Amino acid sequence: MDAIFVTEQLLNGLAYGFMLFLLAAGLTLVFGIMDTMNLAHGSLYMAGAYVAARVHDSSGQFVLAVLVAVGVTVCVAAVLEVLIMRRLYRRDHLAQVLATFGLILIADDAVKALWGPSPIMAPTPAALAGPVHLMDGLPYSSYRLLLIGVGVLVAVGLYWLVNRTRMGMLVRAGAADRQMAEFMGVRVGRVFSFVFLLGAALAALAGALMGPVSAVQIGMGEAILIPALVVIVIGGVGSVRGAFVASLLVGLIDTSGRAFLPPLLREVLSPSLAADVGPALASISMYALMAVVLTLKPAGLFPARA
Amino acid sequence: MTTVDCSDEMSPRALRGGAHGRLGTWLPWGVLLALAVFPLLAPLLEMEYYVGFVRRALIVMIAATSLNFIAGVGGMVALGHAGFIGVGAYGVVALVDAGVGSAWLAWGGGMLAAALAAAVIGVVSLRTREVYFLMITLAFAQMLYYLAVSLRTYGGDDGYGLYVPLSLGAGVDALAHGFYWVVLALAALVFAFGSRLAVSRFGHALKGIRDNETRMVALGYPVFRIKLAAFVGAGAVAGLAGAMLASHNAYVSPSLMHWTESATLLVMVVLGGLGRRWGAPLGVALWLVLTEVLKLYTDYWHWPMGVLLLLVVFLAPRGLAGLLDRRGA
Amino acid sequence: MSGGQALFHTEALVKRFGGLLATDHVSLSVEAGEIHALIGPNGAGKSTLVNLISGLLPADAGRIVLDGVELTGMAPHQRVRAGLSRCFQVTSVFRGETVRDNLLLAAQAHAGSSFRFLSRRAGEQALMERALVLAERVGLGEVLDEQAGALPHGVQRKLDVALALAARPRLLLLDEPMAGMGPEDSQRMVALIESLRAETAILLIEHDMDAVFQLADRVSVLVYGRVLTSGDAAHVKGHPEVQAVYLGSEEAEGDVEGAVKGNLKGERA
Repeated sequence: MDAIFVTEQLLNGLAYGFMLFLLAAGLTLVFGIMDTMNLAHGSLYMAGAYVAARVHDSSGQFVLAVLVAVGVTVCVAAVLEVLIMRRLYRRDHLAQVLATFGLILIADDAVKALWGPSPIMAPTPAALAGPVHLMDGLPYSSYRLLLIGVGVLVAVGLYWLVNRTRMGMLVRAGAADRQMAEFMGVRVGRVFSFVFLLGAALAALAGALMGPVSAVQIGMGEAILIPALVVIVIGGVGSVRGAFVASLLVGLIDTSGRAFLPPLLREVLSPSLAADVGPALASISMYALMAVVLTLKPAGLFPARA
Repeated sequence: MTTVDCSDEMSPRALRGGAHGRLGTWLPWGVLLALAVFPLLAPLLEMEYYVGFVRRALIVMIAATSLNFIAGVGGMVALGHAGFIGVGAYGVVALVDAGVGSAWLAWGGGMLAAALAAAVIGVVSLRTREVYFLMITLAFAQMLYYLAVSLRTYGGDDGYGLYVPLSLGAGVDALAHGFYWVVLALAALVFAFGSRLAVSRFGHALKGIRDNETRMVALGYPVFRIKLAAFVGAGAVAGLAGAMLASHNAYVSPSLMHWTESATLLVMVVLGGLGRRWGAPLGVALWLVLTEVLKLYTDYWHWPMGVLLLLVVFLAPRGLAGLLDRRGA
Repeated sequence: MSGGQALFHTEALVKRFGGLLATDHVSLSVEAGEIHALIGPNGAGKSTLVNLISGLLPADAGRIVLDGVELTGMAPHQRVRAGLSRCFQVTSVFRGETVRDNLLLAAQAHAGSSFRFLSRRAGEQALMERALVLAERVGLGEVLDEQAGALPHGVQRKLDVALALAARPRLLLLDEPMAGMGPEDSQRMVALIESLRAETAILLIEHDMDAVFQLADRVSVLVYGRVLTSGDAAHVKGHPEVQAVYLGSEEAEGDVEGAVKGNLKGERA
């Protein structure tokens, strides 16, 4: 375990964390402002990944693939918003969980019908296939650097949107106190649609970008939904800043755990025990983090609600 | 914030009206009778395969009833209940490995292990509410899942077989459908106990906590202890289901505890009618039968179930039991 | 009024929210059989104080003693068992249940353990009777089978008080029982509270000055979390600082001017 390995893993953690942020930001805004639990958010991520992979595969153009993926997913999300989500905004959480779980089931079969039950290949764009030499002796995947770059851009963009634009102000008002915002004349319906579609776009972007580095398969949405939910709980529901901090934390802890725990444990435990316990500990690390945060700050790190 | 219909309870009174009052009393016995003779009639109907199916459904119903109690009556919507099922199952495996041969002892041990897990998890989780409670119970179940995956002695991800069936006692073992009838009897007991519990002092206190916890504290109720007792009890019953599942499948694996199992269990309960007497049986029956039938005809059986969920959320929000209730009243 | 143990007293209660000193070393006492009213402008910290006494908020410093028993540090439900009961400023009842079921729930808390799993509560005659008695006590006998959430505001507040009475308290905390009530309902509530004097000592938080001066043996004035002064009605009415506080605040002007200028049964605006 040398410095290069450690740096590499930390950068991997950042990349994963930023992608989680793309997902968590939308999820936390929808939950914070519309008080709506949307489990199908992961399915939007999956849609982005599949569309991007297929378009990239047939056209060879990565940027086009990402744009098409985001565009298609936002269209699907718009239909979803009008048909289903609008009717869920005023229902209780359990009804929302049930309905969006149903959407997951429908989405999984839709994907299976369109692209088959097996995982599909999402190739890394040729231009980014090679490593970048960050320092002497530190080659790093240029594609993952792109993930980090996009993540930073999105974070800055969201910060500007939420803190410096009128829409962002409306969004913050809605997150802090929805009823009051309504009384003040905010066109709540429009804000809701905007937030939902923005979330969908970000999720699709994350899916499109994650395709080359993870498996594009049915069930990938559910798999990333759980870490995303953990992130928004740690960060504080409704807070984009909280989602940012928590995503990076979870990304780093999860990746570092998987990379560093097994070798560390091998130093102190028997090899067979280390091989058993290492991965398990790594997997539960983000849950342990959540439990610790909730014990100290029951409403998350940066609760948005007053 | 969960808008559970509190005017309907898990009691015979829930099926209102004269005719339904009588229906409420003899229906459980009728169902019990039908299920009891089913294995004997099955060969005649060429449904012998389905005896195992019904047995599994009954076991799942036991777990669902315990979840329905804490979530519906108690307002504690947990997303980690499958964790206790898993603990019960693995408890049986551990005891069998240690030489236990009696089903009663092994299942009892599994129940105890699940109760202990529920006590620890409950003490930590029950201080939270709503979505935080949902997430924390999910987190603990995932921890149990990964723990099971890491247990190489029990096969880790591959799971572990129970090669020698447990004994239910000489007389019962001799019967072809002994295990089935034991499961049925226990399911009936759990159903009856759940119904009675809902109208007992404990049940009323739990409902009060669900509806207005602050007032319950101000009235002098030891609210935390009541919630914990309910949570541990439900965990134990789920553990029993897990233990029986281990015997039924002659196999355990970590997938028993995956969060999708917890989610499906919750979905079944809400489908049937959260907090209602027949919520768990109806929900489990509907879900398992439908998926089984669909799988016979198509690979694409997920989307019809998804559509069903949407229909229930928008057209029958009180679940199947609520729908039937309204029709009768 | 120190020396000679009062039934209930607090000593230098303190509560801070960040930089705000919401409760500033409050020492109060209530004698057995007494109705002690606590008045003060909005934001004075009356609700905070009630929550400190009932235990819903932990105090940063100070003591609370009821009937010789140290309540400080006790969990809220234990304080109820020690003889302290409260009703709520914003009506807090079980809206989906009937009045009878509301009262049964309150009675159940003080008639043995709630860890009974097998017998139907509906069969417990003693509980049923207790619920009936409570209902009659506050005048809810006619509405026993109505759904609590569907009742008019004034009736719901009576239920709120009835729920608090189920504990047979030694000290009853009434948090603005007259809140949102019209003149007729208020008078009925005043009569009810007066009739409770024999059963329990009362700490009454109220804005309605007419009611306060009709009922209270002693009045304490809370301003900015501190007890400004304490004494009988005449003392408080005549106190220059109290007059300044109240005449300065717009919302209380109409009610209080009349009362402060010695016009007990003065015309209310």
